[in-house]
Amino acid sequence: MGAVSLVSLTRTLAGLALGALALSGCGSSLDESGGSGSGGARSEKVRIGLLVPLSGVYAPIGEDMKAGFELYLDQHDGKLGGREVDLVTADEGEGPQTGVPAAQKLVDQNQVTAVAGVVNSATALGLRDFFHESKKPLLIANAGADDITGARKSAYVWRTSFSNGDVSAALGPAVAKEVKGGVYLVAADYAAGKEMVAGFRKTFEAAGGKVAGEKYTPFGKTQDFQPYLSAIRESGADAVFAFYAGAEAVNFVKQYKQFGLAGKTPLYGTGFLTEGGALAAQGAAAVGVKTSLHYSTELDTPVNKEFVAAYEKAAKKPPTVYAVQGYDTAAVLDKALAGAGGDGGDALVEALGKVGSVDSPRGPWKFDADHNAEQTYYLREVETSGGTAVNAVVGELE
Amino acid sequence: MATHLVSVLNGLAMGSLLFAIALGLSLVFGMMDVLNLAHGAVYLVGAYVAVALVSDGAGVAPFVLAVLAAAVAGAVLGGLLASLTRATPHHLDQALLTLGVALVVGEGLSLVFGNDVHSIAAPEPVAGGVTVLGETYPVYRLLVIGFGAVLAVAVYVLVERSPLGSLIRATVADRAMVAALGVNTGRVLVGVFAAGAALAAVGGVLAGPILGAQPGLDEKVLLLALVVVVIGGLGSVRGALLGAVLIGQVQALGTALLPEYASFLVFAAMALVLLLRPAGLLPARSGVHA
Repeated sequence: MGAVSLVSLTRTLAGLALGALALSGCGSSLDESGGSGSGGARSEKVRIGLLVPLSGVYAPIGEDMKAGFELYLDQHDGKLGGREVDLVTADEGEGPQTGVPAAQKLVDQNQVTAVAGVVNSATALGLRDFFHESKKPLLIANAGADDITGARKSAYVWRTSFSNGDVSAALGPAVAKEVKGGVYLVAADYAAGKEMVAGFRKTFEAAGGKVAGEKYTPFGKTQDFQPYLSAIRESGADAVFAFYAGAEAVNFVKQYKQFGLAGKTPLYGTGFLTEGGALAAQGAAAVGVKTSLHYSTELDTPVNKEFVAAYEKAAKKPPTVYAVQGYDTAAVLDKALAGAGGDGGDALVEALGKVGSVDSPRGPWKFDADHNAEQTYYLREVETSGGTAVNAVVGELE
Repeated sequence: MATHLVSVLNGLAMGSLLFAIALGLSLVFGMMDVLNLAHGAVYLVGAYVAVALVSDGAGVAPFVLAVLAAAVAGAVLGGLLASLTRATPHHLDQALLTLGVALVVGEGLSLVFGNDVHSIAAPEPVAGGVTVLGETYPVYRLLVIGFGAVLAVAVYVLVERSPLGSLIRATVADRAMVAALGVNTGRVLVGVFAAGAALAAVGGVLAGPILGAQPGLDEKVLLLALVVVVIGGLGSVRGALLGAVLIGQVQALGTALLPEYASFLVFAAMALVLLLRPAGLLPARSGVHA
């Protein structure tokens, strides 16, 4: 075979491989469950759309959110606001190219009263105008972009989870107090990473903290963090603040330990660094990592203990913050549907404004003026308890 | 300076893994003219074999067992893929076929093991770190570098210095003539395919303590292996070795020196090589050389 044909072949394969990557990302199809399909005329039943990723990298988060939402339904005889629920689940996939059409189908074709879920911030922001114009309530149960309840807020978009900047801002003053020297900031190079670092930096520097360095690592492409870990060591920082989630969180925390930084340089982060499946995979390597989040399985309240027991029974694994967000979204819908004067978007939105305090496993929280969750953030530290790593609650932040 | 030397060391470790993974892809393409996009899936099968067999704090025995089991699983998968792809000589058909196999295997793995991220522990005796140039460095990665060196020498001896190697090289150069001599060339080709896939699966186990196992890792690894093959030149053992070592360094040392451009470096290196040497750095010319 001549060199020229090898080259053209080589290009074909490189192109094919890239195409394959794109394909596998958008190959996810809609997954309907529970839809009876027999018209939406019966006013007693209420049809709710659940939009969570069931395929792709965010699938573990989507599964937890779905399990939390369904647990609430099971505990309330399948009813929200006293009405039987016809739950239609759709696969959000990895990004807006799958999530936006899936949400539009829920509204246009399935005629749902409201849509809950959404993990990806780009999807949430991509859906904002559609829900704003079709006057349907969208309850965001994870996506953290600050703009969702900030610059691009809408009367129809409500968030039961968190905004990126808030989670990390809660940690800033605590780190400034605990660490005497400089702190190195490292995060995945995408919108959420930037927002997490910006939120932390603001409150951290305001409280007198010093930044020893700042680095962003290619998002979704970094498997080996050694060059960054060496740079952190070179900088002489006394502590590190990191934002990663999923596979990157596992690799970062494990390599932080393997390259000998753990134990010498304390590691702080937002709770996603050591949550759910990531913590299970990190195991003992995560011990001592301190994070801020609005939930931990270890919260010592009667509501949480009851929730943890019920969730473990149903899902056969401990709950995560994502499961609580799904659970609380169902709780909010329950209250709003009970108080709404009709099934129209405006009636439901008005009722959402009157939901008041939600007695959640994470502690009581309520919607603020921007429709964002106003809640307590906890300082958590990873400890091993009975052989498994857990996020022990050190205290409340702020 | 010491920091950068540690990065060089780390690049060698990643290069060793990439060599094991890309070698099969390159040989199968060079010898059999088959484009195997399921190569990443075979790698992931190996990684999940390690998830199933190696528990935290396990000794050397379960790890060796995982390597052997992965080699067998990889060889079986490779044999299947070889017989599947023999039906069609067109590259596009092969690409679609093997891509389909990759999607099915990936979905099957996520059904069995779930979508969560799994980590794999290094064997207990080598799980710790040693001090290299004033920095802590994981012992396991040093062993991986050793493995890469041994593999490179073994493949060289096998292909260049053994009777089996001359048979393989002859089959690639002129299949009809070898068949006329009474050799079953189909068996030789299936054997190479199976051996290449077995190496990829073993790579999955060995990379486990560094990269873990999760859905989607197969695509990332396949992409890197393709870049290695494109840089090194198709169908060449030396090319795969050079490409793997180069990409290992680009990822480690390149990232340490130019962190702002980390996400483009690998592809910038590939583009540069394609511009200067469109057939790769060390392509197989007529026949195969180690």
